[in-house]
Amino acid sequence: MAEVSRDPDVKPELPARSRGVIALFEENCTVCMLCARECPCWCIYIDSHQETRQAEEPGARERRQVVLDRFAIDYSLCMYCGICIEVCPFDALFWSPEFEYAVTDLTELTQERQTLGEWMATVPEPPRLDPAAGDGHA
Amino acid sequence: MNAPGTPPAVDPDWLDHVVREVRATTGVEVCVEEESFSGPGGGLERGGVGPPTLDVPADRWVDVIAALAHDLGYRYFDWLSAVDELDQGFAVVCHVAKLGTESPEAQPLRHLLVRTRVPREAPVLRSVTGIYAGAAWHERETHEMFGIDFAGHPNLAPLLLPEEFEGHPLRKDFVLAARAAKPWPGAKEPGESDESGPAARRGRRGSRRRRLAPPGVPAPDEWGPRPPDRGGDDG
Amino acid sequence: MDVTFGRPGMDGPKGSIAGTSVDLPMPTVGPPSDGHAQHHAATATPDPLRFDLDWDRRWSLWVFNVGLACCAVEFVASAMSREDFERLGATPFAPGPRRADVMVVSGTVTDKMAPAVRRLYEQMPDPRYVISFGSCSNSGGPYWDSYSVTKGVDQLVPVDVYVPGCPPRPEALLHGLVKLQQKIAAESRAGRDRGETP
Repeated sequence: MAEVSRDPDVKPELPARSRGVIALFEENCTVCMLCARECPCWCIYIDSHQETRQAEEPGARERRQVVLDRFAIDYSLCMYCGICIEVCPFDALFWSPEFEYAVTDLTELTQERQTLGEWMATVPEPPRLDPAAGDGHA
Repeated sequence: MNAPGTPPAVDPDWLDHVVREVRATTGVEVCVEEESFSGPGGGLERGGVGPPTLDVPADRWVDVIAALAHDLGYRYFDWLSAVDELDQGFAVVCHVAKLGTESPEAQPLRHLLVRTRVPREAPVLRSVTGIYAGAAWHERETHEMFGIDFAGHPNLAPLLLPEEFEGHPLRKDFVLAARAAKPWPGAKEPGESDESGPAARRGRRGSRRRRLAPPGVPAPDEWGPRPPDRGGDDG
Repeated sequence: MDVTFGRPGMDGPKGSIAGTSVDLPMPTVGPPSDGHAQHHAATATPDPLRFDLDWDRRWSLWVFNVGLACCAVEFVASAMSREDFERLGATPFAPGPRRADVMVVSGTVTDKMAPAVRRLYEQMPDPRYVISFGSCSNSGGPYWDSYSVTKGVDQLVPVDVYVPGCPPRPEALLHGLVKLQQKIAAESRAGRDRGETP
């Protein structure tokens, strides 16, 4: 039954898997660059550098690690297709239903990794599996 | 009638009838290509859900379409457009249909794609506006997008593009300037952004790993005023 | 010093000092405060009246939708009864740009449509504001590489608020309108009166 939305006083109840913004879980990102390559809008900007870690045990070789410097998404170009989230092999990107981020200056729509990380707090739990779906197992 | 869910099989008789009639009326031997789809066994099966395609030589284009429209009852003109097939020229495709009837004898809708090829260096084709008046705008759009000249068209002016537009945008060699001007964010290798790091040094020396390029962007020395790429460029 | 304004045609000069009485009471306003004396030299709008005008401007925006593509549907959804933006004080569907305060550009701006969008903006009377709604009008969006798309309506008109999304939720337009109202409240009054428009 239709109800009048009480937004902006009360947050609306959004359906599961609502596409609002893309949040970054930095811990999982290995800088594989797949999201930046697959994005059809070319709106994901990633910078990184390599660091060499000394061997921890005698005789072991030193480790090279890629460290993320910059992960930004330009939301003025983004078309919210979700290809970056689907292609990420390490589950570092998530959908968040957050939608209140209008700006007065277009450059502010390029969100850096700090904001993308803060949006992780708004990512909901994955919805429960529909018992009617699949091969009958609930 | 087919059970719901199964694709309707192309009844071979009606298609053969069309081919025979066209041959009888115009003397043209058309080639038939039926759309195929993946069958339940995993292989390709003929007789897909799309309309079959009749391939026609370019100099008999109008004759075949006139035969279909006037003699065979394909009076419904749906659309006309083109495909840039590079070395094989431009394929001009026309979709026509024979509307079905409900009663007294129910006849299903029959529709066809009629296709011809024109060479790239001299893309001229006779206009079908004498047969279908509605093809006028379709031919105008195809003309401005591909550069195909439709001889006999009453008014082959551009339809959709702004007046100052130069070039034919749907040709495959039309470069999208925005993709050539904006550096591709995916061109960087992981770890490359540190100028002194090993990945960037590898990039400057000419890495063994082939640098990825996004589709539709020509090499910088082929197109555009940018200086040639020296590797390790800043995105 | 008490200043009262007389009706036109009344005896005595208009705005005469020394308290000429008039039949109908006119709004009585106080002298301009010292800090703004030089700004007020150019205009005669006194401070409380300007405050009234700013209040009305913020809370009574007439919205004109330049609906070009899919975002137009989301705009209409936000104007209808469920996510009603009229409760924010903004009236939807102004009958044309000449009677509008805010122009919402929702949808893809093509190069062929660009002169029309510019003309609509020029037909709007001052003070006017522009909201860019959706990725296509923000920057070209998914059609950023197209041969026929203007990459952002801010190449044609000055934009006050950008609402991101493809398409943005209707609630996002509510948020964008609130943002515009905050921007109007914060803008320089002296700048407005001097005729400085963005």
